[in-house]
Amino acid sequence: MRIAKKQLTPYFMVSPYLIFFLTFVAFPVLFSVVLMFHKWNIISPMEFVGLKNLIHLVKDRMFFRSLLNTLIFLAIHIPLQILIALFFAELLNQQIRFRGFFRAAYFLPVVVSGVVVTMLWQQLYGFDSGLLNRLLIKVGIHKVGWLTDPRISMPAIALMATWKNVGLYIILFLVGLQSVPLQQYEAARLEGATHWQQFRYITLPSINPTIFMVVILSTIGGFSLFIEPYIMTGGGPLNSTLSTVLYIYKQGFFYYRMGYAATLGIVFAAIIMIVISLQRNFIERDIST
Amino acid sequence: MAGYINSGTANLVMIGRGVKTPENKKHRKNFVLAGFFPLYLIFLAFLFSGCQRKATEHPRLVYWSSNNSAEIKFASTITAEWNLTHPNLPVQTQPVPEGQSSEEIILAAVVGKTTPDIYSNMWQGDVEAYSRANVLIPLDTLPGFLDFIYRRCDSAVVKEVTSSDGHIYQVPWKINPIMQIYNKKYMRALGLDQAPSTFSEYMKAGREFQQDTDGDGYVDRWIGYSSVQVTWWQRFFDFYTLYLAASGGGSLIKNNKVAFNNIYAVETFAFLQKLYKKGYFAKERLDARQDAFLGGAIATRFTGPWEISHAEQFKPAGFEYGFSPVPVPDDHQGPVYTYGDPKNIVIFNTSPNPEAAWKFIKFMISKENDRRFLEMSNQLPRRKNLFEDPFFKSYFEANPRMIPFAKQAKFVKGTDISPVLKEVFDIISQEYEACVIYGVKTPEKAIEDAAKAVELLL
Repeated sequence: MRIAKKQLTPYFMVSPYLIFFLTFVAFPVLFSVVLMFHKWNIISPMEFVGLKNLIHLVKDRMFFRSLLNTLIFLAIHIPLQILIALFFAELLNQQIRFRGFFRAAYFLPVVVSGVVVTMLWQQLYGFDSGLLNRLLIKVGIHKVGWLTDPRISMPAIALMATWKNVGLYIILFLVGLQSVPLQQYEAARLEGATHWQQFRYITLPSINPTIFMVVILSTIGGFSLFIEPYIMTGGGPLNSTLSTVLYIYKQGFFYYRMGYAATLGIVFAAIIMIVISLQRNFIERDIST
Repeated sequence: MAGYINSGTANLVMIGRGVKTPENKKHRKNFVLAGFFPLYLIFLAFLFSGCQRKATEHPRLVYWSSNNSAEIKFASTITAEWNLTHPNLPVQTQPVPEGQSSEEIILAAVVGKTTPDIYSNMWQGDVEAYSRANVLIPLDTLPGFLDFIYRRCDSAVVKEVTSSDGHIYQVPWKINPIMQIYNKKYMRALGLDQAPSTFSEYMKAGREFQQDTDGDGYVDRWIGYSSVQVTWWQRFFDFYTLYLAASGGGSLIKNNKVAFNNIYAVETFAFLQKLYKKGYFAKERLDARQDAFLGGAIATRFTGPWEISHAEQFKPAGFEYGFSPVPVPDDHQGPVYTYGDPKNIVIFNTSPNPEAAWKFIKFMISKENDRRFLEMSNQLPRRKNLFEDPFFKSYFEANPRMIPFAKQAKFVKGTDISPVLKEVFDIISQEYEACVIYGVKTPEKAIEDAAKAVELLL
């Protein structure tokens, strides 16, 4: 009896997480797989449709449009994020005054709610009354349709998302930079290396694992783009900011096409996994060479 | 302690790896018993939380009202009165629980089978989907329903709320007709008595009214404004209202077929497209700042009677406004229809006593209570001859701003019968954005593409 009690204790200890995992992770994933093969609008009984949802997905131009939008977002967001984060991390790694203040200030947007940040930027991006356009007029430049011009709206959202998240990556890069042995820089300086050469041949290779982590985290975060277009543009103008997650949300919780939304979700998860594994192979190979 | 934990962890790993030992079998059993026991308890709690209402001698009917303060007050008043006179059929009222939208809450309640007996804020466009899912009571099967409904409403209204299976699942209750609010001072300056009534008049007023008031080179005063968002229900306040006006109350969907690929829809798209193209309507979201109408940035807006209390509360000193029907094509003849934004009453099939629920509804929408509702909420009951009926005269004498809406009430339309109406509106909204706001499609092409997409959907 005593032994049995001892053996039970660990299971009791893991049970809170286990319940959470089963309820909010395992069950929804398994249920999504079941839903893939069904048509279900929540209020009517499920109807088995075989592979119809997948066939529909292959022909769904809007899904591919949303995928393209997400890739455009990633193509702007990831390099921008890495460059800005690296730049500020490098600055904050120097012995400058108020360093602690700047570190906290750059991190502040990360802890502010995404909805709050989005609404703030919506005001900044306003066409007539937005601060950015007022500044542009003051310096004699034409107003920009930040959220109303289909060519500008996704880059505008990428810029905002970068501002929101860059603080986290600054911290990560800062940790990476601080782990580079100072002796390497001293030796390079003695050999006559310029600042750029030191950065290119010492700093960059040394922080490659951090870059890898930042790319992976940014990619996963970027693929889940939702709040910004949902609040700022609703996916418009002309579907230019319709991200894949927003599209899945619309299918599921607006049209109540649960089967199709589950299909989109699973296919999208598979795409993310492929992209991440490709990135991993590519960057790991780069690090090892 | 550490060893003990390690031993447990090792066991878990062994189990996880599927190592088959007699000890593991025992562990598996323990795992199921211990790990799932709390889960089982939660499951039981779920089961009991969804249990039946407490069995009493007289089970209470549950009535959910909308959650605006006037309707909550109305619901509380009539329920208290009902309970006094019907102690054997008690009704308990509460506003629809808070959520992103009442539609979502109702859906969640339907899924969880926790719907009330009566709900009084049902969007007409949702009823067909719910009726097909068999979650609503066909009211025409209740004794006296048809007599009552034909006494209350015109036959056109009864036809409008009849589902595709021939049954009626909703009681037409209230409407908020969409009209044109206008700034009287601006209209006088344009030489008009009221807001422009035809497309060409509206266009002319737009041209004359448009102005760059601060001299920064950009127009900042427009004849009107409508949301540029693609959200489906935003089209109630521009395309759909103007389409109904142009077509004399035409349909979008009829007998499960597309009915909007016609000249009226094309004309409406063309009219709105021109307004944006010429810059008579703002492309910016003006709703994110000070009220554009009361602030003087726009001269007109398509809106409902709820605008009255807002304007009375926030209008600047000396601000004058009025309401008139929405503009129609120049060659339009006959009455000007509009969207009525109807909200109706339904009985859910979870109700143990639909007959009693129907009795309460009859009391709730009696003539006396309709007048009370009108007085308390400034929303129009959907009953025939409302404005002409002497019973309501005193209200309109006391509230003259509601008179245009009461006159308009004869010429309103709700929505068509279709289980995919939101998707239809969404498709139209996508084409609206492409054609009207960004001008990348001609009106003819946009309507044709929308019709094709809706045909596929149907």
